[in-house]
Amino acid sequence: MSADGGELERTLGFVEAMTLGGGTMIGAGIFILPGIAAESAGPASAISYAIAGFVALLAALSLSELATGMPIAGGSYHYVNRALGGLFGAVVGWGMWTGLMFASAFYMIGFGQYLVEPIPFLDGRGFVVGLGLVGLVLLLGVNYYGTEESSAFQNVTIGTETAIILVFVAVGLFFIDTGNLEPFAPFGAGGIVATTGIVFISFLGFEIIATVAGEIKNPSRIIPLSMILSVVLVTILYVLVMLVSTGVIPFESLGDSPIPVSDVAIVYLGPAGVVAIVFAAIIAAISSSNSSILAASRVIYAMGRDGVVTDWFNVSHPRYYTPHRAIAATGGVTALLILVGLEVETIIALLAEAASFSFLVAYSLVHVSLVVFRRADPDGYDPSFALPRPLYPAVPILGVVLSLVVVSQMATVVVVIGSAIVGFGVLWYAAYTRGRVVSEGLLREAIRGEPTEPFRVVVPVANPATQHGLLRLAAASATANADRGTPELVAVNVTPVAHPSPLQNLEADRADHQRDLLENAHDIAAGMNVTLRTRAVVAPDVGEALLEVLEEEAADEVILGWDGTLEHDGHVFGSAVDTVVREARCDVSLVDLRDETVGTPVALVAPGPNGPVVAHQAVEFAAVDGTVPTLLNVQSSGAGSDSDAETRGRAVVTDAAEAAGLDPDEYDTQVVVADDVGQAVVEATGEYDTVCVGLSGRPEGSRIPFGTVTERVVGDVLGNVALIRGS
Amino acid sequence: MTRLGDLTILVPVDVSEAELPPLDVLDHLGAVEVVLLGYFPVPDQAEPALVRDQHGSTAAERLDAVAAGHATHDEVLVFTHDREATIDRIADEYDCNAVLTAGRATTVDRILVPLRGDVNLDRILGVVADLLLAGDETATLFNSVPEDTDPSQGELLLMGAVDRLVEYGVDRDRIDWRLGEGGDPQTDIVELGREYDLVVLGETDPSLRERIIGDVLSGIVDALDGPALIVRDVE
Repeated sequence: MSADGGELERTLGFVEAMTLGGGTMIGAGIFILPGIAAESAGPASAISYAIAGFVALLAALSLSELATGMPIAGGSYHYVNRALGGLFGAVVGWGMWTGLMFASAFYMIGFGQYLVEPIPFLDGRGFVVGLGLVGLVLLLGVNYYGTEESSAFQNVTIGTETAIILVFVAVGLFFIDTGNLEPFAPFGAGGIVATTGIVFISFLGFEIIATVAGEIKNPSRIIPLSMILSVVLVTILYVLVMLVSTGVIPFESLGDSPIPVSDVAIVYLGPAGVVAIVFAAIIAAISSSNSSILAASRVIYAMGRDGVVTDWFNVSHPRYYTPHRAIAATGGVTALLILVGLEVETIIALLAEAASFSFLVAYSLVHVSLVVFRRADPDGYDPSFALPRPLYPAVPILGVVLSLVVVSQMATVVVVIGSAIVGFGVLWYAAYTRGRVVSEGLLREAIRGEPTEPFRVVVPVANPATQHGLLRLAAASATANADRGTPELVAVNVTPVAHPSPLQNLEADRADHQRDLLENAHDIAAGMNVTLRTRAVVAPDVGEALLEVLEEEAADEVILGWDGTLEHDGHVFGSAVDTVVREARCDVSLVDLRDETVGTPVALVAPGPNGPVVAHQAVEFAAVDGTVPTLLNVQSSGAGSDSDAETRGRAVVTDAAEAAGLDPDEYDTQVVVADDVGQAVVEATGEYDTVCVGLSGRPEGSRIPFGTVTERVVGDVLGNVALIRGS
Repeated sequence: MTRLGDLTILVPVDVSEAELPPLDVLDHLGAVEVVLLGYFPVPDQAEPALVRDQHGSTAAERLDAVAAGHATHDEVLVFTHDREATIDRIADEYDCNAVLTAGRATTVDRILVPLRGDVNLDRILGVVADLLLAGDETATLFNSVPEDTDPSQGELLLMGAVDRLVEYGVDRDRIDWRLGEGGDPQTDIVELGREYDLVVLGETDPSLRERIIGDVLSGIVDALDGPALIVRDVE
């Protein structure tokens, strides 16, 4: 069983998802940033929050679709890596990782400020930084060792914190002095947009819903609903907090405060209100920081899994099951960022803006990824929630544009830092990732607009002597069908074992044999320039196992080797082959390679559903040696004149070729009129290297219908014989 | 009235442990359907998807190893934050009447069935009847009477239950009953349980999250060496 084995318990309902998303979002951002926001945009900073919320909403919409289409850990990073390939994956991965660490450091410093400022003799940067570090260490411990029963506690704290903010807003609305709101936008539109860049960090967190998509009940409904609703509600809350703050205290004096919300609260809620706000600010900082550390470690973990960074990170703790190395690395860098606070006066704004920058870049690439996913429509991407028509492509386009607008208005130093991180991602890709990562992204398919639906030909290999020829035929078949999908070969070897059990080791030589076969197949494929995957299967019944592989791979065609003999112990071709011929739901070709070269094939075309399939297969096989196949029809000379028969025969060939979508220059036509059809067939086909014959339709019951003509071909023709059965 | 053999038992196994519980008891239950649930408990702070990434194949192998040699109807592997929720959900999905906790038992000849009055009685007796009809065990029905109360009530309950099993088609020779007068039912059941190969218990309060294994119940189950079969109390 693969690593996909096992389901995840869907334990998160709507309320849990909302708490998770909202609780992660409502954090230190709203307690610390109103001061800085007021300073740079005045009362209009409420609009900055609204814009930031709108940008977040757009990202939430795109992420909702991606998350329901591909629920996998890693969030935005993963979607971008998958859609746009390793380069952008590295850029977004590093950006998100550093961004989340900026955010985490920001929360922890803010946490220290709220705790220290109200107590005069504890003032001082050193103390704030020290408190932040202590808090960080505690959080790292919790995340490293894991905690049991923490979610109930978290729900209570998030509930309390939200209730305190609601009271602050509800009461505060009555204390707004409209005079304070004049002038509303003292720094103009530029100030508003620039502030948007700073406060965007307050919205980080809704993405966690996408990250845990696999654990959410009824995902197609709850994921989009909780993402959208949590962003909208939080935006409204933030806008109100900002209006109340700037309405109660003139924005100039609000701007000077490192603990603005608490300064506002004291005006109308008294000391008790301040204590409540300090309490709320601290839990908010802790819960946001906790989520950021967790999210950061998940990003670096996912990068390790995809090979973007060393897979050293890609290990979870043997006892606590936490990504402990990723957490340790994240914690170390975050601690350094907090320490920078000792030296840099404006560290809070800087961290907030740098984190916002990284995420704005990440989310604009998420929007692009959504477009790429839609256009490329890869296997396995089947979102249960898709943005409806007017929203798509409006949401991704608007999302990218707005993100860029906000980024363009950011402080120069932030743009420099942010660009440096992006540059680092690019360099990292060039120096480390490239060459290691197989993931190419879907960009090319998306631009070409071609279906990435592969055309998959499955080739069971068992015999080293024939596998080369089989793979060549399969490659030719797949390539000839390139118009129906990207050609792809799957070589599979089934080792029969009476009672397969993971505990019972296969005899070593059999396992070696299997590995050699598949490795050899790889070498052959590499020489032919086709994509090949290999699968090794151990199963009691070869035929059943092959059917299962065909189903799993959604195979379009299977090419089976066969020894050219008929009737084995009650089976027509052999027990495994019979099973596949009877039950496979794709085109089946049974090939007996009697000759090295495929050369010029001839297809025996008869009226009926199999005719076009056989004709097309002959054309596919002809591609191996670049020949033109002959479509042969044999008419019995019994009734009517020979020329009538000739005309009838040509009509049969033309019909079949047309049904198979062949151009007249892709084949030659030959019609033979004879008394003994079987004899004529054997004689006529004797001149060709490979004979393609149809097996009549889908057999009913257990017997495989087997015409006498086919039997004569199998028995008497010297060249290669391919028996074809359409799906 | 004869019970039909439609008994389906859910057997949860913690696949995060390298040492897996013996399930010999399954081979002695006769023709019952067994759904094997391998659950991997994921700590709150850890992410199930991540744990599956890392331990999915090991867990699947362990589950296969547990299943090997026993006639199991279905196998499910779940990574979960909430073991009880998973057991509940899977039991619902597969229509399981009872949940088996593993314990050491090489044979199943004697079954102890503690009864606590009318709670869940129909279901418990239904499951016991199915068990007895599917295999060839004997069952002892047990009721613990609190001190200072009239023991006749307990007798009545037990005799009624025996009659019910006979109605279901179980041979009367295979059922006996026993009245405990020790006082604390929990201790009684644990003490007595040692003499039996399997204990059949009813779910406790269905309104609680831990309804499958409530506090009293888990105390008993933990103290028992042998396996216990917990009869579900849901529609």
